Amino acid sequence: MPIPTPFHPRTSEFCTSLQWKEWAGYYAIRSFDVHFDREYYAFRHAAGMIDVTPLYKYDVRGPDATAYLNRIVVRNIAKLKQNQVAYLCWCDDDGKVIDDGTVTRFEEDYYRVTSTDPDFHWFLRHMRGFDVTVENITDEVAALSVQGPNSRDVLRDVCDADMDKLKFFRTTKTRVDGGIDARISRTGYTGDLGYEIWVKNDDALGLWDALMAAGEPHGLVPAGLDAMDVTRIEAGFILNGIDYFNALHSLIERRKASPYELSLGWAVHLKRDPFIGQEALRHIKKDGPPRLFVGLDIDWPSFERLFAKHGLPPEVHSGGWRTGVPIYDSGGNFIGQATSGAWSPLLKKNLALATVQAEHGHIGNTVHLEVTVEYERKTVPATIVPKPFFDPERMKA
Amino acid sequence: MAYDVIVIGAGHNGLACATILAKEARRVLIVEQRDVIGGLCAGEEFHPGYRHTGLLHDTSGLRPWLVEELGLSGHGLKPGPAPHRVFSPQTDGPGLVLSSVPDESVAEIARHSDRDARQFQVFGTFLGRLRKVIEPLLNKTPVNPSDLGVGDFFDLAPHGIAARRLGKRDMMELLRIPPMCVADWLREWFETELLNASIAGPAISGGWTGPWSPGTSTNFLMQTSTWNGPGQGGVAAVVSALENAATGSGVEIRTGAAVKRIDIEQGAVRGITLLDGDEIEARSVVSSCDPRTTFLDLISPRELSHKLEQYVRDYRMRGTTAKVHLALNRPLEWASRPGEQFEYIRTGEELDDLERAFDAVKYRQRSERPVLEVHVPTVARPDLAPQGHSVASVLVHFAPHHFEEGWSDSAREALGDAVVDERERYAPGARDLVVGREVLTPVDIEKRYGLAGGHIYHGEHGLDQLITRPVPGCTGYATPLDGLYLCGSGCHPGGGVTGAPGALAAHVIQSSRQ
Ligand SMILES: Cc1cc2nc3c(=O)[nH]c(=O)nc-3n(C[C@H](O)[C@H](O)[C@H](O)COP(=O)(O)OP(=O)(O)OC[C@H]3O[C@@H](n4cnc5c(N)ncnc54)[C@H](O)[C@@H]3O)c2cc1C
Repeated sequence: MPIPTPFHPRTSEFCTSLQWKEWAGYYAIRSFDVHFDREYYAFRHAAGMIDVTPLYKYDVRGPDATAYLNRIVVRNIAKLKQNQVAYLCWCDDDGKVIDDGTVTRFEEDYYRVTSTDPDFHWFLRHMRGFDVTVENITDEVAALSVQGPNSRDVLRDVCDADMDKLKFFRTTKTRVDGGIDARISRTGYTGDLGYEIWVKNDDALGLWDALMAAGEPHGLVPAGLDAMDVTRIEAGFILNGIDYFNALHSLIERRKASPYELSLGWAVHLKRDPFIGQEALRHIKKDGPPRLFVGLDIDWPSFERLFAKHGLPPEVHSGGWRTGVPIYDSGGNFIGQATSGAWSPLLKKNLALATVQAEHGHIGNTVHLEVTVEYERKTVPATIVPKPFFDPERMKA
Repeated sequence: MAYDVIVIGAGHNGLACATILAKEARRVLIVEQRDVIGGLCAGEEFHPGYRHTGLLHDTSGLRPWLVEELGLSGHGLKPGPAPHRVFSPQTDGPGLVLSSVPDESVAEIARHSDRDARQFQVFGTFLGRLRKVIEPLLNKTPVNPSDLGVGDFFDLAPHGIAARRLGKRDMMELLRIPPMCVADWLREWFETELLNASIAGPAISGGWTGPWSPGTSTNFLMQTSTWNGPGQGGVAAVVSALENAATGSGVEIRTGAAVKRIDIEQGAVRGITLLDGDEIEARSVVSSCDPRTTFLDLISPRELSHKLEQYVRDYRMRGTTAKVHLALNRPLEWASRPGEQFEYIRTGEELDDLERAFDAVKYRQRSERPVLEVHVPTVARPDLAPQGHSVASVLVHFAPHHFEEGWSDSAREALGDAVVDERERYAPGARDLVVGREVLTPVDIEKRYGLAGGHIYHGEHGLDQLITRPVPGCTGYATPLDGLYLCGSGCHPGGGVTGAPGALAAHVIQSSRQ
């Protein structure tokens, strides 16, 4: 049975829809209202606040912390400056991705790792020979994510750190509402301007109340996972367990993916000290990845026509979907799968994230996605378009 | 100054490997942590005036082709096996002497059972037929089961043909026996428990196995199929011939030189760093240390793939054998055969004695009544002890490396006492002959010889660990690290004084350089 996060007394109070789900062993809210659209628009037009405590968090400390993490992750984090965050992934010996997440360098010898899957065992396993400690602080540190164009204004009003100086993928220590010690990083999972705030569990409710109070004039709204899922699809972000699978959990090779197949090739730094998977990744890079992770814009008129044939209006999911569907080339041959998608209320587009065979993965190519209309399986054309689908300047500005 | 090859460890495999490589005029250096040469085969003084001839007793597995390749006869190894007799004493009864002369054994067995005496002859010829198939496999580089190529097919084809020549019945037996426990198999042949226990002894010696453990028949078949009889002069003669051959071919040997680290850069070997800080460059490094020491102690975890590390961690090498050296002021006498002198003695009157002794290690205890393999080297070499005195070198089964209460000084002495007590059952009064003793627990063996777990064969001879020895990815002496090779008993065809891993590794290194 899931357990409540430290914000539960507040989140449960606001959650009139009673739409809960389990996230990494915690109760998490799908949407506070019956429908998530108000929360979605808050993310895109004002600010939304979501409880992200369940995200796994590991603290790595010690003289060998840099060397140790560099041994595990694909990216050269020795280049990280203090208070800088890196998005990256880690692989098995065969160069297949186990998980993606962030590494934040708080101090010279102090890092925090976040992960989607419970990977503590993986980090523990590689400590031999390194003077480090690794601590699973997932249950000790509570986290809120404040995302959206007004998020900076909210935080500016309640934090003593200079929010205008905090750049994209940087962190700072701050005091919230005069009394709560927190760390803020300018990161998020919405592809928008946004921040994540970490405090000790005991300070969770104080943080919530302070942010809600400060947020009122800026349109801050508590938000749930359904709204965030649509924003992450618009941002083209992969999700472990949906768009790809942890290599350690995969029974067959086909299920595993290298970073080059997940659009994460840019994060792999091959020319450096040995790291797990390096040798295999060299070969994969040389040979070219067999599959590519792409964005699809599903052709709306064709989609509409399929339904019109039955006298029906087009049926789109309300929110993100994550049931994998096959993709075919024009000859009807299977070439890959769409693994998640959503109707983008902002872009007015029917979007999907997909993995397709490399030779079909070029921008502008038309592929055919399966849709089921009145129990019949049909296909609808979709164009491969650049990701992210939505990329506001304010995210990095 | 850079070497072509550095061999770590001056055990018999390290010496054999280095000598073969040096014959091609490579600059070869052996570094040995101890001050003596021979590794587990090094003979030493254990009590003032008393010497043993190494931890082990028996050199019957030494390969004749290696003796020839290294010209060991020219370096003092006398040709031809010495007659070999192993005595199994009884507390009440005549005991049994198994001899390398078959007629002698048959006569001895007939004292217990006529049927078994007849069976023993059939058994001997049966084993002789199997040997034709098994022996060649233990004298060649192993094939990598996960990477069979056309070349391997032609390589293996003769073995297939040899196996076909066995005929259907023997072939069936060859498939049936290896996974079996040696106890079940022997009981199909013989009714005399003393005989069964005596034959089963070597099959379980050193392993984490009792006679009822699956696969122990394999160990037995491996040993009988490569048994060539102990050479003249025993272990000491083998070591000194190997040392002479090595130095004669120009191998440089540095003793008192413990390796701290094998230096690796970008996945390739650069050389070694000694404990005293000395750095020595080399194009290749060949380690005769056990696989766990090599990969987990001598190589930085940063250079090791996760998969390989996991395999090495899972590689089983839990030592179960202790060693006790006894200095005696008179020759040893046994109640079963008063007045007779034996060089090799093995206790255990029935299979259950062996199994019961093994039971204890499963629970991290030592056997209450250990099984003893006694070697009295002074029978052949009276010079190892003062005039009229003798030495008993005792292999003690079973004493776990991970002893629950830990190997304190008092635990060590208690083990020594248990050994003396057990021997007393068969040789009453022998207790009073002891003038000095040395007790080596598996932990002591680990420390002194740099042998992880103190496992006498550098790793369990389990079926799985024989097929991909030591671990997948390292089965053909080469390792995933460029220029790093293995040549110790942790490699195919396993432990024992055979010289085979060392020599076969050298052949692989030679051909990889061509
Ligand atoms: C108690 C006992 C009884 C045995 N009985 C028998 C028997 O009766 N018959 C039989 O055939 N086999 C027997 N064996 C097994 C046999 O002795 C071994 O399989 C064989 O001797 C191993 O030879 P090797 O050259 O592979 O390794 P070793 O002889 O172990 O040589 C490895 C060498 O490496 C050295 N070394 C380790 N670490 C370092 C380092 N860091 N730097 C430098 N040098 C290092 C060690 O000091 C050692 O000299 C017995 C073994 C033991 C322990």
